[in-house]
Amino acid sequence: MASRVDVAVIGAGPAGLAAAIAAREQGAEKVLIIERAEQLGGLLPQCIHNGFGLLYFEQDMTGPEYEKAFIAKAMSLGVETRLETMVIDLDAERGITAVSRKHGYMRFKPGAVVLAMGCRERSRGAVGIPGTRPAGVLTAGTCQRFVNIEGYMPGTRYVVLGSGDIGMIMARRLTLEGAKVEAVVEIMPWPGGLIRNEVQCLHDFGIPLLLESTVTFIHGEERVEGVTVCRVDAERRPVEGTEKSYPCDCLLVSAGLIPENELSRKAGVELDPVTGGPVVDQNRQTSVPGVFAGGNVVQVHDLVDWVSWEAEAAGRAAARFADKGELKAAAGVRVMPGDNIKYVVPHTISGREDVTLHMRVTQPGLKATVKAGGILSKRFRSVRPSEMVVLDLKGEALKEAGLKGELVVDCEMRGGG
Amino acid sequence: MAPKETIICIGCPLGCRVTVIQDKKGNVAGLKGAECKQGQKYVLEELKNPVRTLTATVPTGDEGFPLLPVRTSLSILKTLLKPVMVETARVKVKPPVKAGDVILKNVKRTGADLIATADWPGSTGEG
Ligand SMILES: Cc1cc2nc3c(=O)[nH]c(=O)nc-3n(C[C@H](O)[C@H](O)[C@H](O)COP(=O)(O)OP(=O)(O)OC[C@H]3O[C@@H](n4cnc5c(N)ncnc54)[C@H](O)[C@@H]3O)c2cc1C
Ligand code: SF4
Repeated sequence: MASRVDVAVIGAGPAGLAAAIAAREQGAEKVLIIERAEQLGGLLPQCIHNGFGLLYFEQDMTGPEYEKAFIAKAMSLGVETRLETMVIDLDAERGITAVSRKHGYMRFKPGAVVLAMGCRERSRGAVGIPGTRPAGVLTAGTCQRFVNIEGYMPGTRYVVLGSGDIGMIMARRLTLEGAKVEAVVEIMPWPGGLIRNEVQCLHDFGIPLLLESTVTFIHGEERVEGVTVCRVDAERRPVEGTEKSYPCDCLLVSAGLIPENELSRKAGVELDPVTGGPVVDQNRQTSVPGVFAGGNVVQVHDLVDWVSWEAEAAGRAAARFADKGELKAAAGVRVMPGDNIKYVVPHTISGREDVTLHMRVTQPGLKATVKAGGILSKRFRSVRPSEMVVLDLKGEALKEAGLKGELVVDCEMRGGG
Repeated sequence: MAPKETIICIGCPLGCRVTVIQDKKGNVAGLKGAECKQGQKYVLEELKNPVRTLTATVPTGDEGFPLLPVRTSLSILKTLLKPVMVETARVKVKPPVKAGDVILKNVKRTGADLIATADWPGSTGEG
């Protein structure tokens, strides 16, 4: 690279764009986004449905509309981009190695790095369904790309495995395009996505949602001809005698997302086995100094608005690091998941400044009270693992509490799910 | 037995299943199962006027950009989603298109316009 890059952002999804904008606004001179795809926006160009920006812009936008607002801002601030360029290595000293057809091989060391690589989808292999290997088994996100960007319908009759938001949104999209969606099959006793999507994507179109069920076999030689669906018991094992077959020519797998952290691993970034993403402090700095992270690479978000906010924090801090050459870890207090809390991000906080905690519960329930030590307790009519719980803690209150070492977050419930 | 209908409230993650009780004439006689006022309001509105925003794509014939994403400018009646879909497959578009441009005015007399949600500069521009 000819001139020094202050902040390099890996990935140009909503997280990368927001981080780059925030880094520029914080004063970083040269901010560069490196993106392996041909265009900016990450997953958003294929998310043509609405439901984006309700919090951030207080407006109901589609994916492309949300993305456009950020791209325009990044461009006006002079954020630089390298498209069709893949980062293949990151070392513990922030050394980046990237390759592209146009520019070949490049190696450089920016002042700070923001990881914004997003997620990848769990595939059939990761879910482990027995049967033949016919054509017509694909992830919901891949199908979304085919249908919404490339204009290609991969099948006419579908079964969707997994009731995450992507699966439900695709069930509606395919139905509107004239396909038949036989069922959405979910192994858990509750749907994996937002209530809004359960109602507006499935109920509206009479698509059955089969809870506590799973696909146990895929039939067909060359092409999928059908699947066997079974009920599962409390241990999620198929119950014999409950098999039912559904004819279909496509099985969509929507079984969750996994943060994309190959590069983080290479750099020696400490990962949280529960979130699948880096362990981060309040500034979204990882265990490797000068390497920050935001968006789905840290934790799987259900709302893009939080992706943008989280990445902004990472971008601002990265600019500060690039300027000073260091940024003390905001790690005075370790945040620990307690009763019925699966994880909390960030993992450590300063204990002095305002901070937003993101968390997921393990079990759904009614009349829940989420408590952060003795500092704050917030009531929720209900909590579900599929909907992120957010708590805002005030710096004043934290200081007053004089936390030593750790802050435990618990969720108490007075009713079952 | 009086006819019944169940509507799931989407107001919060609780997702109350609200049973609508109707009298013999089919008028709403009561609601059962909503945990809060906001939910009752939602259910009554959903009974009277179940509207949704439709998002879809329009074919462009441009190999580099085969589909233009579109949406309805307002939410439209649920029952009109399919008829409007049919229109989106038929409509012809020419570049350049900018996000927000009207593709079809008052589509299927819904009162809503079909508008583009992304830019399509066409072959002259570089995406
Ligand atoms: C199908 C689907 C539907 C959704 N629906 C909604 C919704 O209705 N409402 C809502 O609010 N949110 C929704 N979301 C969530 C939202 O879209 C995501 O949370 C958001 O896209 C995550 O942003 P991100 O920037 O972290 O990741 P991404 O958008 O995935 O961007 C990551 C980018 O990094 C690039 N990249 C990865 N590795 C490298 C590398 N080594 N080198 C260079 N580039 C790299 C990728 O190509 C990609 O462009 C949906 C998500 C999905 C998948
Ligand atoms: S009725 Fe109230 S409590 Fe129940 S889902 Fe709707 S908003 Fe939530």
